[in-house]
Amino acid sequence: MWGALLRRGGRGAGGLRRLVSGGPPWSQVVSEAEKIVGYPTSFMSLRCLLSDELSNIAMQVRKLVGTKHPLLDTARGFVYDSRNNLQMRGLVVLLISKAAGPSTEELSFQHNMVSGIYSSQRSLAEITELIHTAFLVHRGIVNIGELKSCDGPLKDMQFGNKMAVLSGDFLLANACTSLAQLQNTKVVELISSAIGDLVQGIYYENSKSPEESCLTDDISISTWKEQVFLSHSALLAKSCQAAMELAKHSAEIQDMAFQYGKHMSMSHKLHSDLQPFVKESSSDTMAFSLNSAPAVLHQEFLGREAWIKQIREAQGRGNIMDYKKLQEAIKAGKGVTSAIDLCRCHGNSALAALESFPPSEARAALANIVYAVTRFP
Amino acid sequence: MCHFTQRSSTLSFPKICNIFWRFQHTSTSHLCSCSKTVSNEKYQDPFQLGRKDLKNLYEDIKKELLVSTAELKEMCDYYFDGKGKAFRPMIVVLMARACNIHHNNSREVQASQRSVAIIAEMIHTASLVHDDVIDDANSRRGKMTVNQIWGERKAVLAGDFILSAASVALARIGNTTIISVLTQVIEDLVRGEFLQLGSKENENERFAHYLEKTFKKTASLIANSCKAVSILGCPDPKVHEIAYQYGKNVGIAFQLIDDVLDFTSCADRLGKPTAADLKLGLATGPVLFACRQFPEMNAMIMRRFSKPGDVERARKYVLQSDGVQQTTYLAQRYCHEATREISKLRPSPEREALIQLTEMVLLRDK
Repeated sequence: MWGALLRRGGRGAGGLRRLVSGGPPWSQVVSEAEKIVGYPTSFMSLRCLLSDELSNIAMQVRKLVGTKHPLLDTARGFVYDSRNNLQMRGLVVLLISKAAGPSTEELSFQHNMVSGIYSSQRSLAEITELIHTAFLVHRGIVNIGELKSCDGPLKDMQFGNKMAVLSGDFLLANACTSLAQLQNTKVVELISSAIGDLVQGIYYENSKSPEESCLTDDISISTWKEQVFLSHSALLAKSCQAAMELAKHSAEIQDMAFQYGKHMSMSHKLHSDLQPFVKESSSDTMAFSLNSAPAVLHQEFLGREAWIKQIREAQGRGNIMDYKKLQEAIKAGKGVTSAIDLCRCHGNSALAALESFPPSEARAALANIVYAVTRFP
Repeated sequence: MCHFTQRSSTLSFPKICNIFWRFQHTSTSHLCSCSKTVSNEKYQDPFQLGRKDLKNLYEDIKKELLVSTAELKEMCDYYFDGKGKAFRPMIVVLMARACNIHHNNSREVQASQRSVAIIAEMIHTASLVHDDVIDDANSRRGKMTVNQIWGERKAVLAGDFILSAASVALARIGNTTIISVLTQVIEDLVRGEFLQLGSKENENERFAHYLEKTFKKTASLIANSCKAVSILGCPDPKVHEIAYQYGKNVGIAFQLIDDVLDFTSCADRLGKPTAADLKLGLATGPVLFACRQFPEMNAMIMRRFSKPGDVERARKYVLQSDGVQQTTYLAQRYCHEATREISKLRPSPEREALIQLTEMVLLRDK
């Protein structure tokens, strides 16, 4: 997800006035942000990763090498992309905690401040990452009933499933335990409900049968946004809000933090969906999801029947999707420009939410993140 | 491990191993000499006593499962059809009343205590859904499992959703101590599963490992939900300890009998296939006891019954040995301990019902 951003160059372009070119490249955004919050966030889940249970799992997962179980990819991604990919949510939670400043109330023992962030808020950032990772893992389960002989031995897949369920559950249990230690029932309720949202969002991603997944869902862009909110925004939005609650900030600040988290994640998802369509010439066309924003918008403008016709034409006789052809069809329509507009719209909403926070390094870093996810060539 | 040694109990680890090795010398009369508190309360069927409070339990659970997608809702509701034993909520509700009566003679169950019963059942069910994926099980409670019908991907999500809904309900009670007590259960359930992954080479260690796993996977939920309702009903920490010990001992006994039934019952009665544990490579109480008489079983245990014919051979050894009897004796001892603890509370129909329940645990056949 986030890794795609690093592969891009950092040139800005025109567009909506507030989101003109400018702002440093992504890697710089991240490293400056990490300095602001006090330490590299890639260490955050280290304690958990080094636990006996996960070491045990890691050893067992080695048995999956050579099989086709998705857990292997998830694990690889975790190890090799930790520099680029992960812990972004945690970083945002830390930044917004710092940007909001100290509490106006008397806080209890839990709340000593380091680098302008309360220890409870740091714990929350870690919890957010734990939950996100748990679901990356739980997404990688295979349906035993749908396996074919080319997928390899059944027992490998069963074993992979077992490891995936266990390690995901372990991460979730750790998140729950840490949540309980925060001694704040509102935060527990908020984050637990975010987990429920995430499950529903992932459920929508999954609910298609193999035949159906060759088509765009029969949904409007507003339904698409609701589903994407659940799968990609709710966790971060509610975590940002919870961070404010931990410092006993006002309801307005809590809402602004929520709005930032929500709109920035939406922008990020749109940005990610747009990548196959905005890259300059490339020899290979990236495959893209037929439920990505440009495709859904294109369908909305064109009408579903006409869109299905275009998909069939791109499938040709062999039933193999010609993504280049399909991509050109989408580019020829209004899907791409609408998606860019939508991305920038959410970006502006995120920036507007930031206005409620006093100017600071942390706030600037949060703004830079928005610029980075709304930048197109 | 610490759950055993932290709490003071006559059944600490060294004692258990003693019992393990000296079963031949335990006379049955010793078991009957426990001092059952004489009370004037009439004998009542525990399930009748708790019925009013549990009447709408499953409906209320379904209300907590607020899900917009029809299919996901169907999956989450699947086990809350009212056909389960409702054993755990029953204990929780009876314990709540027993503690309330002990404290101030109130027989009413508080709303928060009832919530604990609901939450406990939800956490339990969520773990069952995941266990069935892990074990690749295809039937439970006499019907197909969630993963069998809807696939493993969705089953895992359904389990996660039920757990998140339980957490929301837990937060809404508004008591951070209760949140900590019940969150411990979630952690114990997962660690119990991990314990099951590993195995011990040493015979002595194996039994301790088995009991620890049994505590974490089964007894912790009952122990901690009993403790939670006692905290809500009564401020006395001694009462919390009594409730916890009752729950812990009954929970372990329950699982021990479950492990016995896996050998002695037939599939129809049980609602799930038998010798299931052996097929999963698990060496439970009857097997561990049998191994003392048939050391040939050691090799099978170490390779987790993976060779063809192992399961059948192990089963035969168990049925030839006194493994079933020994495990049942051990369960009786735990029930005895549960009774001893709960008898410290003020007499009440609910207290008697909880004692009655320990006997029902021993006599169940499914």
